[in-house]
Amino acid sequence: MDGRRRRTLAATTVGAVRRHKPDYLLLILASLLLTIGLVVVYSISPGLAASQRISQNHFITKQLIAVLLGAAGFAAASVLPVEFWRRNAKNLAVLAVIGCVVVMITPINATYPAHRWIRLGGFSFQVAELIKLALLVYLAAFITTQLKKGKMTDFKSTLQPLLYLLLGIGIVVAKAQSDLGSAGVMVVMIVAAAFTAGIPLKRIVLIGGVVLVLVTLAIASSGYRRERLANFLHPQSNCQGSGYQACQALISVGSGGLFGLGLGYSVQAYGYLPEASNDSIFAIIGEKFGFIGTFIILVIYGAFITRLKQIIERTADSFSRLLVVGVMAWFSTQMIINVGAMLGLLPLKGITLPLISQGGTSLVFMTAALGIVFQISRYTSYKITGPNITTDEASRISNNSFDGRGVRRPHNPALVTRPRT
Amino acid sequence: MNPESRTRPSKTSSANRRLYVWYGALLFVGLIVILRLFYLQVIRHDYYRQAALNDQLKQYSIPAERGVIQAHDSTGIVPIVLNQKLYTLYGDPTLVKKADETGAKVAGAVGGSAEEYANLLKTKKTRYVVLAKRLSAVQKDSITKLKLPGVGTQAQDYRTYPEGSLAAQLLGFVNNDGAGTYGIEQFLNSQLAGSPGMLKAITDAAGVPLAASRDNVQINPKAGDNVVLSMDVGMQKQLETILKNGLDRAKSSSGSALIMDPNTGAIKAMANLPTYDPSQYYNVHDGNVFNNAAVSSPLEVGSVMKTLTAAAALDQGVVGPDTSYYDPSHWLLDGSEVTNIEEDGGAGTQNIANILNLSINTGATWMLMQMGHETGKVNAQARDRWHDYMVNHYQLGKLTGIEQGYEAAGYIPPPDKGYGLQLTYANTSFGQAMTATPLQMAAALSAALNGGTYYQPHLVDRYTDSSGKTTIKKPVVVRQNVVSSKVSRQLQGLMEYVVAGHLQEGFSYLKFPAGYSVGGKTGTAQIANPTGGYYADKYNGTYMGFVGGDKPQYVIVVRVNQPGVGGYAGSQAAQPLFADLAHMLINDFNVTPRSGS
Repeated sequence: MDGRRRRTLAATTVGAVRRHKPDYLLLILASLLLTIGLVVVYSISPGLAASQRISQNHFITKQLIAVLLGAAGFAAASVLPVEFWRRNAKNLAVLAVIGCVVVMITPINATYPAHRWIRLGGFSFQVAELIKLALLVYLAAFITTQLKKGKMTDFKSTLQPLLYLLLGIGIVVAKAQSDLGSAGVMVVMIVAAAFTAGIPLKRIVLIGGVVLVLVTLAIASSGYRRERLANFLHPQSNCQGSGYQACQALISVGSGGLFGLGLGYSVQAYGYLPEASNDSIFAIIGEKFGFIGTFIILVIYGAFITRLKQIIERTADSFSRLLVVGVMAWFSTQMIINVGAMLGLLPLKGITLPLISQGGTSLVFMTAALGIVFQISRYTSYKITGPNITTDEASRISNNSFDGRGVRRPHNPALVTRPRT
Repeated sequence: MNPESRTRPSKTSSANRRLYVWYGALLFVGLIVILRLFYLQVIRHDYYRQAALNDQLKQYSIPAERGVIQAHDSTGIVPIVLNQKLYTLYGDPTLVKKADETGAKVAGAVGGSAEEYANLLKTKKTRYVVLAKRLSAVQKDSITKLKLPGVGTQAQDYRTYPEGSLAAQLLGFVNNDGAGTYGIEQFLNSQLAGSPGMLKAITDAAGVPLAASRDNVQINPKAGDNVVLSMDVGMQKQLETILKNGLDRAKSSSGSALIMDPNTGAIKAMANLPTYDPSQYYNVHDGNVFNNAAVSSPLEVGSVMKTLTAAAALDQGVVGPDTSYYDPSHWLLDGSEVTNIEEDGGAGTQNIANILNLSINTGATWMLMQMGHETGKVNAQARDRWHDYMVNHYQLGKLTGIEQGYEAAGYIPPPDKGYGLQLTYANTSFGQAMTATPLQMAAALSAALNGGTYYQPHLVDRYTDSSGKTTIKKPVVVRQNVVSSKVSRQLQGLMEYVVAGHLQEGFSYLKFPAGYSVGGKTGTAQIANPTGGYYADKYNGTYMGFVGGDKPQYVIVVRVNQPGVGGYAGSQAAQPLFADLAHMLINDFNVTPRSGS
């Protein structure tokens, strides 16, 4: 009886959702991935230290600091009202542009061979991660505005800026920072936002065409990308040369077998597989835990993505919805590019495995983005909603969170039966 | 789609439909990834496992600890060759970012040129450069403390010599490949080396075995035997000093001396000059100094041979110790004359004692002739018998089997092949036209003096294997009845007579305390000219003698190459050396005087 009443209530309060319990399962899944990352990085630390002759605790210390910073980022983002991000979308974009300028004047060296990192003291900061967050917020804000104006189908005011954005990413991220992987993630973020926001399919095809041209140009213009593509197409042909990492990744994954060699028994981390704690960590997991382990990792990612999808379904306003769409595009694309490269399904890209890879900047920005989602998950409705919630409603929601007097109701999309009408 | 849906907010469902399309696409990609994983990890597992092992599994040999070498001393047994861990300092240029700074730090810690280190560390396309070798543990610690990235040390066993260059040629050395070279180290290499172990291990990319791997197979090495030499360190030290002083006095640049126990064949001391420092064998320019010349460098021994000729003739009964004969002071054999170059008694009546004392070549030839019962000819019977004594009784022309690398056999001419056999054999009776090493002569003289038992000369007294089991080596008897014990006593007396005679001639250093039996024989050996004949003005001085009481206790052989002092080389160069050694033995090494004295 009680459940029925609640359901009725919920149905009537679409657009006026109240603050309720956030999505703890999402938090648990994220923590699980972070923990797996910490355990794996810890277990291969001696191997990494031996091959690079540095302290055994070097990598695990760095990763622990990154996780702590990430937790702080998550905590901050999870209490900030969503409205904060909309108001600061432009500021964030400006910050990203400044980052792009600073990174171009930061000198490169053997350890940092591209204009991707800003280095301060002992820390290095990967600008592409800031751009992803800025893009996430700015894109959501921009499309929400266009939706509100009803101009989503308007070429000049909606599609044209998006195409310029694509071109800008192509020039700045793929070309200047030589980071095709991150550029790819950003492109998918834009396409996913446009696609789910209801831009006509013909326009999506146009965007796809532009992307294809950009990717072709990017590969053709860079020697090492052509080489990586060739190595990808003929994996065994150059195992001792530029295809070394791809070959060693396959050997790592394949030698794990069904059950893996065991947590403490990775050999590939001892100098054979480059970037073992970082971009190649999935291959190390494959070696240590076998098919069972990699399958479980994929199931966790699947549950994670599913969780994001369920939040998207239930968001109370367009801006929030688009933010979560962006996060889902960000995480899923990055995971596919990373894993695909380790399995020889895609060419190698210098990109992290979300929440597992050692890599401070990426981890901090991803957990911050999760914090935003966590906040949004407090204001989902019982009912599956659509993207056309008005901005008025959205602002009411955010006001709710400001006065702090909102009735906290136990609500979690996973805990209630999906109402179907 | 009905027309209504276009106007109503039905885009809601349309947008979610797109979300589901996207979500479905992601699930589809996830499925492909899982299928790919199944293919790589389950279906193709064996292939990749093998590929991994090809890279990771390496086989190493674990070196066995080399046995140490010890010797006797008045206090007991003391080490003369030990092992020491020294360290090789290497760098991996790919890991060294600041070569100049690293080079300076390395130079600060272990010495050497900072610039050289820096240049080595800048080497391209290699991950291994050797910066310094043979660092001590202290130097290694000081470099390790700096924690320089890309710089490491590697331990390696080296031989160390607590007695410096003592007995260097007798010991030999261990070369860079760990192989014993020259001397004991070479002869007993396999026994000293032990057997290496084997490690088949999963390694890291740099080849360092990983302890955690379950695929590792290890066979432990078996350490080499520890060897105790018969050598007496105190005696060896004195002998080396005496040899050095003796050669200086005789103005000779090279020579050998050895002391043997005639009743066991044990070598008590043995040395040659010039020598070298075995801990720095790699700094030696002339490889000849590695040779233990007393064992590996045969020579025409000269008149010292007359002692063995006399003993052979006495043993055959063709002469007696008091036999007199007429010496013509020259023999014409095969168209050439045999004459005397040492103290010539001139034509006249002579006896056996004088043949030795005055060193009469024609007398030695006369004794040889008696072996064939035909004065004036060295007939086939004489040659056969003398050849039998030289080769089968005295074991000349054969390797003794002493524990030394590069032993030489010397040369005894055949009795029945070739031209001028009479002359050749006449020459052998006084130590020309044949060669032998000082060691062979010492062993032969020992047999002739000890009652007729030829003991194999040896240097190893005992050895202890890795399990702690000690084996004492018994003297090996090669032949009994080399000469009869009666002949041994007669030879002892004849050789004492020579020393006494020379003392009377004025060699006052040959005066020994009463009660001791000291005998000897000089040799002034002509040196064969490679172009034929002998040098007119080059001689080697040799001396063979003994010290003892009722029986000889030490046999001494001395060789002085081409002395620069005037007079006969045997008397002027080798004899004083012998006397010094004999005095040393009597003074410091418990020679038992004659009973009743």
